[in-house]
Amino acid sequence: MRAKLLVLVVLLLAAAPAWAHHAFAAEFDQGKPLKLKGTVVKWEVTNPHSWIYMDVKGDDGKSVTWMIEGGSPNNLYRLGFTKDSLPPGAEIVVEGYQAKDRSTRAVGKNVTFSDGRKLFLGLQARESDPESKK
Amino acid sequence: MNNRYFASLAALAATGVVLVLAPAFATGQASSPVAKTTTAKTSTAHNAWTPPRTTDGQPDLQGVWTNNTVTPLERPKQLAGKEFYTDEELQALAKQERERLSQIEEEGQPAANHSGVEGAPADDVHYDFSQFGLDRGQSKLAWNRRTSIIVGPEGKIPPLMPEVRARLAEERAKAKGHEFDGPENFNLGARCLARVNVGPPLLPTAYNSNLQIVQGPGYVAIEAEEIHDVRMIPTDGRPHISKSIHQWYGDSVGHWEGNTLVIDTTNFTDQTPFKGAQNLHVVERLTRADEETILYQFTVEDPGMWTKPWSGELPITKIDGQLYEYACHEANYPLANTLRGARVAEAEAAKKSAK
Repeated sequence: MRAKLLVLVVLLLAAAPAWAHHAFAAEFDQGKPLKLKGTVVKWEVTNPHSWIYMDVKGDDGKSVTWMIEGGSPNNLYRLGFTKDSLPPGAEIVVEGYQAKDRSTRAVGKNVTFSDGRKLFLGLQARESDPESKK
Repeated sequence: MNNRYFASLAALAATGVVLVLAPAFATGQASSPVAKTTTAKTSTAHNAWTPPRTTDGQPDLQGVWTNNTVTPLERPKQLAGKEFYTDEELQALAKQERERLSQIEEEGQPAANHSGVEGAPADDVHYDFSQFGLDRGQSKLAWNRRTSIIVGPEGKIPPLMPEVRARLAEERAKAKGHEFDGPENFNLGARCLARVNVGPPLLPTAYNSNLQIVQGPGYVAIEAEEIHDVRMIPTDGRPHISKSIHQWYGDSVGHWEGNTLVIDTTNFTDQTPFKGAQNLHVVERLTRADEETILYQFTVEDPGMWTKPWSGELPITKIDGQLYEYACHEANYPLANTLRGARVAEAEAAKKSAK
């Protein structure tokens, strides 16, 4: 599984060195894709990845709290995100995969606000041009 | 990773390998297209540019920096024999990088297909990097014209010695099927203990590829944001520690050659082998090229590992702000989750076979 992630990282980020923090496929189940709509309970801004806690109401009307893995806080801060950017009560939609142990944890493939806005994008002008200087 | 110690570091130094390596660096600054590119706008100014000094009179390398780059460590096959991009090609590459990022921000990262068969369905569970601010293009990039970090006409890590190839294959075979047996089977990075990007050599990592340099009289400290390690480098002329002592990031000693900090590192352990090396020797050179740039050069060698030493070069560029704490284990749920997932998968498999 580690090898798989390595391949992915190499493909997506040709310059990335070969390390893998995660064995995603061992942790989450590709046979259990899910889409969750709910409200943010809290956002744990911790390394190496942040975790979003959200309440999702089931068909029976009962709320269940899910934990969704998100991006690295270091990167998000640099992109202009603050701890207030994802306040409790915010309505979000998560598409991802459930944990293999069937607990209410998932890896979020993407997270959007319920109006369709992307959560972590469009935060700051990028500095990725060769001639860009501050 | 069950390696043996090699204790010939002193012998290695005695044979003058360090001296032999030195010419490899000589191509560095003066003629380096890296320096030219990074100072393209102010090349005249660059010649006159003198680095600031610390209070004790050393060139000042201090600050928060990134080595985030699109340049791969090894040269891609299709660029064989081509060591540098032209300025036009570099601009095209930057454009391509912008377009790639815009596209995946718009449409999401394409699902990964690892089967090797074109068009096969994706088989990986993963998040969309750009959706979480993790794409390299969402952070500042240190551009340069090199087509690979490894310098020279080949741009590749030299071939492994045959016995090393056999040893690594054996280690891989032994580990196979036991990746998730227990936490000790995970790599040191996943266990939040040590990461290869800390170096030496300092190489870019997938994200958070940042570092901070702090200097005090007789010392230079380099902290890599991932994962919290600080390399303390004395520059007071002391020798390496006893060859019977081995450390995760080796033992670094430094000295100044003009405006260049030269760091020599030996005494690595077999727990953190760089690409599987057991007798690693790394020489790094850090030269402030301008206000925003440090030219980073390195040569690694392990005579028992590679058929010859190899060298790399990449610019390190200044970024705003500070390093954020990387309290790696604080939220390292994936380690426990992965082990739990593996146990569930085992139980399911056992149930199936019992039927």
